[in-house]
Amino acid sequence: MILTLEEPQRSRWESLNENGFYRLVRHCADRVFYGGDGTSCDVEMGIGAVLAIFSTPGTFAAVALAVKYGTVFHFLRNEAHFNAYVASFPDEYFFAVLSMTIAGAVAVWKWDSLLPDRRDHANLAHLPILGGRILVANLLALVILVVIVAVDVNAGSAILFPLIACWTAPTIGYIVVFFFTHAVAMMLAAVFGFVAVLAILGILMASLPYRVFRKCSVYVRTTLLILFVALLMTSFSEGGKIETIHSAVAWTNFPPPVWFAALCQWLRGIDNAPFPALSLAAVLGTVAVLVIATGAYALSYRRCFLRSAETMVILPAGGGAVAAHVLRALDGVLLRGPVQRGGFRFVIKTLFRSETHALTWIGFTAVGVMIASNDLLLAGSKTAASSHVPSAVVLGLPLILTYFLMFGLRVAFEIPGPLRANWTFRLGVDPGTRECAALARRVMIAFEVPLLAVSLVLYAHFWGWEIAIVHTLLLAAMAGLLIETLLLGFRKIPFTCTAPPFKQTTSVAVILDVLGLFGFSAAVPALERHAFVDPLRSATGIALMLLMWWVCLYGTRKNQIEPERRLIFEDALPPVLEVLDLTFRK
Amino acid sequence: MVALEARHLTKCYYSTVAAVSDLSFCLQEGEVLGFVGPNGSGKSTTVKMLTGLLEPTHGQVVSRGARIEQDLVHYRERLGYVPEEADLYPFLSGREYLELVGTLRSLPRQSLERKIDAMLDLFSLSAHRHSAIGSYSKGMRQRVLLIAALLHDPALLILDEPLSGLDVTSAMVVKNLIKKLGEQGKAILYCSHVLEVVEKVCGTVIVLQKGRAIAYGPPSELMKTAGQASLEHAFAHLVEGGDSAQTARDIASVMSAA
Ligand SMILES: Nc1ncnc2c1ncn2[C@@H]1O[C@H](COP(=O)(O)OP(=O)(O)O)[C@@H](O)[C@H]1O
Ligand SMILES: [Mg+2]
Repeated sequence: MILTLEEPQRSRWESLNENGFYRLVRHCADRVFYGGDGTSCDVEMGIGAVLAIFSTPGTFAAVALAVKYGTVFHFLRNEAHFNAYVASFPDEYFFAVLSMTIAGAVAVWKWDSLLPDRRDHANLAHLPILGGRILVANLLALVILVVIVAVDVNAGSAILFPLIACWTAPTIGYIVVFFFTHAVAMMLAAVFGFVAVLAILGILMASLPYRVFRKCSVYVRTTLLILFVALLMTSFSEGGKIETIHSAVAWTNFPPPVWFAALCQWLRGIDNAPFPALSLAAVLGTVAVLVIATGAYALSYRRCFLRSAETMVILPAGGGAVAAHVLRALDGVLLRGPVQRGGFRFVIKTLFRSETHALTWIGFTAVGVMIASNDLLLAGSKTAASSHVPSAVVLGLPLILTYFLMFGLRVAFEIPGPLRANWTFRLGVDPGTRECAALARRVMIAFEVPLLAVSLVLYAHFWGWEIAIVHTLLLAAMAGLLIETLLLGFRKIPFTCTAPPFKQTTSVAVILDVLGLFGFSAAVPALERHAFVDPLRSATGIALMLLMWWVCLYGTRKNQIEPERRLIFEDALPPVLEVLDLTFRK
Repeated sequence: MVALEARHLTKCYYSTVAAVSDLSFCLQEGEVLGFVGPNGSGKSTTVKMLTGLLEPTHGQVVSRGARIEQDLVHYRERLGYVPEEADLYPFLSGREYLELVGTLRSLPRQSLERKIDAMLDLFSLSAHRHSAIGSYSKGMRQRVLLIAALLHDPALLILDEPLSGLDVTSAMVVKNLIKKLGEQGKAILYCSHVLEVVEKVCGTVIVLQKGRAIAYGPPSELMKTAGQASLEHAFAHLVEGGDSAQTARDIASVMSAA
């Protein structure tokens, strides 16, 4: 029975697969998904897992809004005629931001594999394929990808949000309209986000020489990520303000997500003054980025892809004389022994030159900068500057930066570089070495010290040397403890080990990290601020806290057994059955 | 019959120095033409022009009486090409890669799959046919490239260092294969700096230096004119590369220096 059902279908599949063009499109889609340099960063995630991850934020956001639209809440607010269409405007704005930023972030993530590259030229250009076929096939693959991303990012919220928002709705039709308007506007927002990034990529690639493009691409990517994070952060605070848009204000005064939220409202038949104009901006904006991206893509195809054989990839490397002097000076004060000296240079160079690694730690730091400046702005508007002592928020700023910078570095250490080059370390480093954590610690210190110096100078400038020195000392102590905590059990040379597998404990660790951030950057500064006013009690409190932290660390370290300290190049889950090593080797 | 003809090929990259200058030769059907020269002498550049990947600054490549740019698609249908670098997609398996290439060449599916399996077997890759190319060794990638160039039974083969990374057995197989295909009437251009192989396999040899042909003829004749017993010695005689024995002594002394 099943066989007869399957037969004709399978043969249709096969005949489709035989079609060269279809196969090319499929290949282009594959290369976008798996693309980049497969040797360096083998993230073993299936398409299913990735899609699930992208749809989670929207789903959660929809669920989180259930309170707002619940009947109890309406009753409490004494709203007899609750209009879900009108009330949902700020939330639609939030969803538009979410959809746009996630889709844009996907494009930034896949930056290197969106357009056909040198490898494609090496493998495909000598085959008998008609001129523009590769161009069109990759374009089609991109279109498919954009559609998948747009649908996926909004899948959860598009189904849940209408149900939740229209809980008390009079008719099914009401919900259906809500659903369609939401889905259309949000998917358009996702398309806008993704294609805008694509357009920037295409323009850069078409206009810059390949070398220059490669060099500045990491900066462009981080800038885009920072922009997305900023947009996401404004959406939490702006939501309330958005509710009051009524007067006719030009569309240019609003960030793009507002256009799409307005489009959603306008489609629902609410035509408050600015909505029609904003909706038009949404549609025209999307069309514009589509046109620009396609044009830039075609141009970059001609300029870069077709001429791949002409250009040579000589990427700029080799630091200046200044860097060499600094490193030599560090050899004297910070670095001991060959592993630290050699490893330090390797790690620093990788952190700055490898795009994946640079993107990781700079990205984390950028999030820290965003959060810090957001805190500062909020605090600045609330508290009157009490002149002689900085507020807890101000004291917490360098702590936030430290936390994100150190965390970003720690995450970057885990990302493998080209593992094929590993033999250098396998051969050259004593496997019994205990230097791994020491090396990583020194790298982190090298990044932390400038931060300390800057904060010392700034605090001294605003609040005098006494406060500056005390605070910087506390900062240094906390940074030290943080580094030690992050490096607990670290026994790799950064970038030389396979990526760690996803463990059950990973999600727990993530939650702990978020809690850690609050403890680190909020609790201690609050105490510290008290300490400046009432030194004795609070200072003892702080000292006790840090001491406890240190004792925990020390205990954990003491309890580590010998095999947990050996240098590793492959990070695998511990075997279920472990063979005892009874050979008594020394 | 002439399978491929290069007329006054010249290629300048961005710099004004020509990587290849004024190179002319004919490749007959059934001929195995050897292309030798030191690193950077312009072998790969010439090959890329012959395959239509690179546009010559001057001169032209002619096949079957017409310039190849006029009908690249048909020209490439007859062409099998092994590029100098095996930069394959790491996420595809060897079999998937070959299946991709075969499909893009519009080979009929049934015979394509049979051919791929047979070839993988003959090149001793069948044990790894389902593993990702990312995990292949250099020699394995090179064998995949070779199969990809042979799948469609091309009349013209252009091989750029085809033996690089191959072990002795595979290299022997490929050497014999080249001879055999030449006897079958295929036109083969063989680029290499391994002179012993060239001497055995090729009927004619072109020696390149700094983008210019400095010798052109059968290996036996080159050896005779240079008055040397092997092609390697003839080559050393032709190409001014300094005294290799002296260079070796210098290296050893730098190594032992404090
Ligand atoms: N894409 C390129 N851009 C600039 N110069 C190149 C490029 N490719 C090769 N060259 C130069 O052209 C010369 C010949 O190179 P190539 O043809 O690769 O030599 P071979 O294959 O004989 O070793 C070399 O000097 C090389 O540096
Ligand atoms: Mg070469």
